[in-house]
Amino acid sequence: MEISNLGKGLPCATWKLLPQQVRRAMRLTAILLTVVCVNVSAHSYEQQTVSFSGKNVSLIKVFSSIERQTGISFFFNYAIVEKTKPVTLDLRNVEMDELLGIVLRGQGLSYYKSGKTIFIVKDGDQQKYSVQNDATGVSKDKINVKGKVVNEEGSPLIGASITVKDGNKSVLTDEKGSFEIKNIPANSIIIISFVGYQKQIVNVDEVGKAVIVLKQATNILDQAQVIAYGYTTQRLSTSNISSIRSADIERQPVDNPLLAMEGRVPGVFIAQANGLPGSGVTIRVQGQNSINNGNDPLYVIDGVPYTSQMLATTSGGPLGNSGGQPLNNATPGGNPLSYINPADIERIDVLKDADATAIYGSRAANGAILITTKTGKAGNAKTDINVYQGIGQVSHKLHLLNTQQYLQMRHEALANDGLTPAPTDYDVNGFWDTTRNTDWQKALLGGTAQFTNANASVSGGNSSTQYLVGGMFRYATTVFPGSFNDKKGGLHFSINTHSNDGKFHLQLSGNYMVDDNHLPQIDLTNSALQLAPDAPPLYNKDGTINWMTNPAGTSTWFNPISNLYNLYSSNTDNLISNAKLGYKLIKGLEIKANLGYTNLQTNETSQSPDYAKPPELRSSTPLTAVFSNSNINSWIAEPQLDYINVFGKSKLGALIGSTIEQQTSNGQKITGTGYPADQLLGSLASATTVIVNSTIAAVYKYNALFGRLNYNFDDKYLIDLTGRRDGSSRFGPKNQFHDFEAIGIAWIFTNEGFIKKNSSFMSFGKIRGSYGTTGNDQIGDYRYLDVYTPLSQATPYQNTSALTYLNLPNPYLEWEESRKLQFGLDLAFLHDRIIFNGTYAINRSSNQLLPYNLPIITGYYNVTENFPATVENRSLELALTSTNIRASKFNWTTTVNATIPRNKLVAFPNLANSSYSYSYVIGEPINVVQAFHYMGVNAQTGVYQFSDQHGNITTSLNLLTDRTKRINILPTIYGGLENRVTYGDFDLNFLFQFVKQINSNLRFGNVNVPGFFSDGNGNQPTSVLGSWHQPGDNAKIMRFNSNGSLASSFGYVTSSDAAFSDASFIRLKNVSLSWKTPDNLIRRIHMAYIRFYVEGQNLITITKYTGLDPETLSLNALPTLSVFTGGVQLGF
Amino acid sequence: MKIIFILLLIAGMSSCSKLVEVNPPSTSLTGSNVYSSDATAIAVVTGIYAQLGNQGDIASGLKSISLFCGLSADELTLYSGVTSFSYIDYYRNSLSVALSTGSDVWAGAYPLIYLCNSVISGVGASNNLTPAVKTELLGEALFLRAFFYFYLTNLYGDVPLVLSTNYKQNAQMSRTPQAQVYQQIITDLTNAQNLLSSNYLDGTLLATSPERLRPNKWAATALLARVYLYMQKWSDAESQADLIINDSSMFRLSKIDMAFLRAGLGNSEAIWQLQSAVSAVVTNTFDAFIFVIPSSGLNSVSHPVYLSQGLVQSFDTADLRRTHWVDSVVVKGIVYYFPYKYKVSAIKTPVSEYSMVMRLGEIYLIRAEARAQQGNIAGAQADLDAIRARAGVSNTNVNDQISLLAVIAHERRLELFTEWGHRWLDLKRTQAVDSIMSVATPNKGGTWNPDWELFPLPLTDLQSDNKLTQNPGYN
Repeated sequence: MEISNLGKGLPCATWKLLPQQVRRAMRLTAILLTVVCVNVSAHSYEQQTVSFSGKNVSLIKVFSSIERQTGISFFFNYAIVEKTKPVTLDLRNVEMDELLGIVLRGQGLSYYKSGKTIFIVKDGDQQKYSVQNDATGVSKDKINVKGKVVNEEGSPLIGASITVKDGNKSVLTDEKGSFEIKNIPANSIIIISFVGYQKQIVNVDEVGKAVIVLKQATNILDQAQVIAYGYTTQRLSTSNISSIRSADIERQPVDNPLLAMEGRVPGVFIAQANGLPGSGVTIRVQGQNSINNGNDPLYVIDGVPYTSQMLATTSGGPLGNSGGQPLNNATPGGNPLSYINPADIERIDVLKDADATAIYGSRAANGAILITTKTGKAGNAKTDINVYQGIGQVSHKLHLLNTQQYLQMRHEALANDGLTPAPTDYDVNGFWDTTRNTDWQKALLGGTAQFTNANASVSGGNSSTQYLVGGMFRYATTVFPGSFNDKKGGLHFSINTHSNDGKFHLQLSGNYMVDDNHLPQIDLTNSALQLAPDAPPLYNKDGTINWMTNPAGTSTWFNPISNLYNLYSSNTDNLISNAKLGYKLIKGLEIKANLGYTNLQTNETSQSPDYAKPPELRSSTPLTAVFSNSNINSWIAEPQLDYINVFGKSKLGALIGSTIEQQTSNGQKITGTGYPADQLLGSLASATTVIVNSTIAAVYKYNALFGRLNYNFDDKYLIDLTGRRDGSSRFGPKNQFHDFEAIGIAWIFTNEGFIKKNSSFMSFGKIRGSYGTTGNDQIGDYRYLDVYTPLSQATPYQNTSALTYLNLPNPYLEWEESRKLQFGLDLAFLHDRIIFNGTYAINRSSNQLLPYNLPIITGYYNVTENFPATVENRSLELALTSTNIRASKFNWTTTVNATIPRNKLVAFPNLANSSYSYSYVIGEPINVVQAFHYMGVNAQTGVYQFSDQHGNITTSLNLLTDRTKRINILPTIYGGLENRVTYGDFDLNFLFQFVKQINSNLRFGNVNVPGFFSDGNGNQPTSVLGSWHQPGDNAKIMRFNSNGSLASSFGYVTSSDAAFSDASFIRLKNVSLSWKTPDNLIRRIHMAYIRFYVEGQNLITITKYTGLDPETLSLNALPTLSVFTGGVQLGF
Repeated sequence: MKIIFILLLIAGMSSCSKLVEVNPPSTSLTGSNVYSSDATAIAVVTGIYAQLGNQGDIASGLKSISLFCGLSADELTLYSGVTSFSYIDYYRNSLSVALSTGSDVWAGAYPLIYLCNSVISGVGASNNLTPAVKTELLGEALFLRAFFYFYLTNLYGDVPLVLSTNYKQNAQMSRTPQAQVYQQIITDLTNAQNLLSSNYLDGTLLATSPERLRPNKWAATALLARVYLYMQKWSDAESQADLIINDSSMFRLSKIDMAFLRAGLGNSEAIWQLQSAVSAVVTNTFDAFIFVIPSSGLNSVSHPVYLSQGLVQSFDTADLRRTHWVDSVVVKGIVYYFPYKYKVSAIKTPVSEYSMVMRLGEIYLIRAEARAQQGNIAGAQADLDAIRARAGVSNTNVNDQISLLAVIAHERRLELFTEWGHRWLDLKRTQAVDSIMSVATPNKGGTWNPDWELFPLPLTDLQSDNKLTQNPGYN
């Protein structure tokens, strides 16, 4: 096995390896040349065999395939070869001469070999060229060079730069990909480069009409990264950008693309709200900038901004929220990114610093996430079908009391309170069968969720038009009892085309998804953790809900299974469409427009039938169904002028553009009551009373002018300037506009001659820095207005309408501003096999827009205000990618990333007299928990005691002043470690995610005081077994209490420092193993490939956390599931 | 062609404030125009009544002053299956700042006070309203503000006296001494008396209504009588009560079964009633909805309380209030008594009852007490006997002032039980609270401490406004 082939594949080296006669051959006027820089094989080509299969492929493709297999270069006249007929081949391990003979037969072409180069010429021309070659000799004269740059599919690359080495001349290719450099010395070396492609270095001895085929970069440093209104590469970027690609996404059986980023992107923290399909997902880019709202990044899908939160009229049922802002105390549930098919995504780029995001101005204070969907590639129609099936389970259970332990706790609690079991203490008074012992976690959460996922796509096209059409279907069930499920279907298309003269370009894309989500209204997790273990069976013998009624007919518990009959369904249609148009006015100057439209429509229903109610409530509570709908649609138009030019060693880019955007939100929540029967709950028409609970009709308008200037000198010094003037309708007329600007600079020091000469170990080194401002207008609409809204009345008071106020108005609202300073170091070693990126970011947000807490005496709990506080987020982001082994059959790559975030409040003028004097401390993180100091259990009374602010031991605390301990519950380090190993046709990939954090533990009990019983709930974790029993006991847990008289004490202890402990975890987030059938096998059945794979998600978690899941950190949320899937992918 | 493109582009790029102008939301009105027309200005005040009458607000139902004060005093017993601390803590007089119990009325009243202040300034400044409507709305808002402060100061002691909508100023207010709060209440009520109509008006404020759903001059007078009584200004209390009792064409004591009907059905005892408007559950009154216990018995969610043994046993057997205003249900052999002043508990039945806020019965008792305090024994006896006669109880034979006051206090307990916290407030203002509750609280499973006569301020307000101080005894 070849462990390494260092030093090969470098363009320069390849060139120098070429023999003299080859270089001479390049003088030939009519010959187009292709220089390919792949690993040059040590074998001579005569001994080599080659394989090729394909239907109707162009010769260019055949040649490039041979180049890849053998390391031999082809030189040919593009204009001639382009006109040849496509060929259909299926050859395996044949001599190259045989293959070339077959493909050139009847094409009027011949070939001849010279060293490691094969020249393709017209029949009979071999002699002519050799003669001319000899005749011209070695000329020292100045020459003109003409050429054309295309990609591997033959499409011209527009704006590729051609620079003469050691000279000051450089040009760009025009809209046909052509270029001409005049008057340069023969023997000059020219460098051809284009964003996202491998650079080529070519020697031009004489005038040539060369076609240079650039190959897409495989090196991470040179792959195209999507930025606002353009592209860049990691090598030449001045900003802090992280990306994940379709290959990373496809390996993970997730239903929300954000979840595929967990653990993979430095500086980005992602957590799932629960393990239900379509659940909320919270994402924070470089920490929490805003104290309590507006922390979502800007999402841009194919250039169109996309909502980061659902509308507040949709409750989201059990889906959990996405870390969003509470609007009028209603927090929307679910996550809008759930309605995008992860398989349609080509790449996701996360823009983190001011340099990358300032051009998004006011909306990118929390970073920007750019999602680019897949597009077609030129070539014959390709079909790809991918189907997987899988299961998911809750992998971790809490240790809870069994019946014997539970009953002992309850009896002791009653005895402690001097009580005997009351008629309502059904768990201990003999009414329930105390010999029962149910594991409620198993009964309610122990099921297996099923997943079925299918994607199919067809793509193809020619060099001027490419298309892709894809469809998807996903079906997921839950671990709950019952047949709850989520069904999704989607369509995606993309069309790319340009006019024959190359001046006009159009790209159209559309994504559409329909989601039909049927879940119970309430997550059963809370019940599973709290139900008494001797609670009755869920169902009666006849299959009806068991309410275990007492002789009066009143239920003795709240049976959680009834939740399953309180149906929740959510139907969502999501459309994202966009068009990108471009027209080349003159060389280097293009006028462009980006047009987009999105429409997200959600309809929800929640039904509460009598069947699901305890019998005693049926007469007094009417049959109710809640219907809500929400619609967010937006359009955007962004005309732009884009200019690019090169002057000698300088490259200059300029962009100027404008954004006009409008978002319309409409939502309604309607309650129907008084239905005659359970069966009619689905129809609002059957309700006797209809109340409109809330309506939203908001228009948000946004307008901006932006510009960017970037300058690159000799690929050594880079500077990037951006500016934007933004206007938003969310502010009062006086403060609608604001300016944002940023600067980014970078120095690629390894391109300095003196370093280059002395550093063979380091192949790339760049220092970068950026500083700038971004903003945030993530507040509700109309917050500057004093808004009165109708009260919905079932029976209008005095038959007239009634109004009430919605929020306190603040006409002085202004933009929030974040200042971001970042430094970065990007290094590559051993010919880019080891790549290191480090960034240190200092972000400061001030003038923060948020609901400023108010005492209710003012009339409302908060007012949206520009907050005087300054919050600082520092983060150190480190990423390392290493190609450990690169051999013909065996490859091993390791990627590791880690982020060390630090958050603190740096300033808060007049904090002592603000609403936050007790909540925040300057110098501490903004969501620091201020806790009491736990001092154990009083040995005499058996009650918790604490240390007050003066250090005295007490059992009753001052809630405002005795919180002496501060606990930082933000993660202090997080990241991931990924390994990819390929061996032959096998591909193994696994990702570990790690988070270091502190959070609340369950040491002192569950939700209520241990010993307390309510509605069937009362169970506790086994940690409460060490409780105080009698005076003199030195216990950690206070005495059991049945009547709640120690509820305050329990409240204190769960807010004490002892209730928080390590909640760090290392999780095997993702494993995927795939096997691709060998080519010779598959060709016989006329397929391109078959790939079998198994994938796993959240398989192993190593943690000291005492709750269910250190990711959701909740006792009410279904933990993220361990998912295991298997699938097959077919290509035709 | 190219030039046109560029020109269009430049035109499109110019940031223009027209592009970010939006109209106010079509679903709502703004503060600038809400007080510019009669209908919308009235709708803001009607909104206060509609919210008050809603389930879950301080006026009726599961979070009402009647229920919380009834639990705190010796009127109501909490069902043993109730595990919600928001009831348990009132019941055991063990309100807890840590568990955020006891702040319901505070958090319920201040948002409504904000609306009153908004109306007072908005209507006051508006020039577009019909003059009659304008004075009426101002009067109603002043009355309501006084009404809310009456309860706030009686339940929480010194309370911040918020009189404007300026949240910046109000957010840093400290507590205003009770005497000053009372002074403002009297000012507001006196002004309201002058502004308000002596007729009961409909939703247009321009025509009279058979119902008594909007407070008028008489409501202001009734509250003023009560406030003077609480301030021990006996003659003022008496003279205000006179104004109402003397207008016998408007106010007469109704028969025992009619006293809680809606005024439109001939109940001329009502001074101010509330209609249940907002809730999706269409009921007559939420008091009936939660107090009337169904045959299946109590439950922790919808029927958490029943009448205390002590109250039930205080009635004479012949007392019509015992037989007509109290009912019972037998569950598992145990008899549970419940308030039956409001009788219609079923949902979706025709509305015959409205929630009574103030009624003539109380005014008679106010005057009886005021007269007794001034030594007018005969006058006090006459007023007392008017109430007793309606209850079918013989006239009083008590003649000395002290005994007569005790009888009046007892009569108030029987007449006004589970109505707007009268019992709890009476115990406090007559300094009887410690002697009564030190016996009653242990029976409820708690321990009495004189500090418990005031409810605690909510922790969130103490955190947001560090000028506020907590009531003694609470941490």
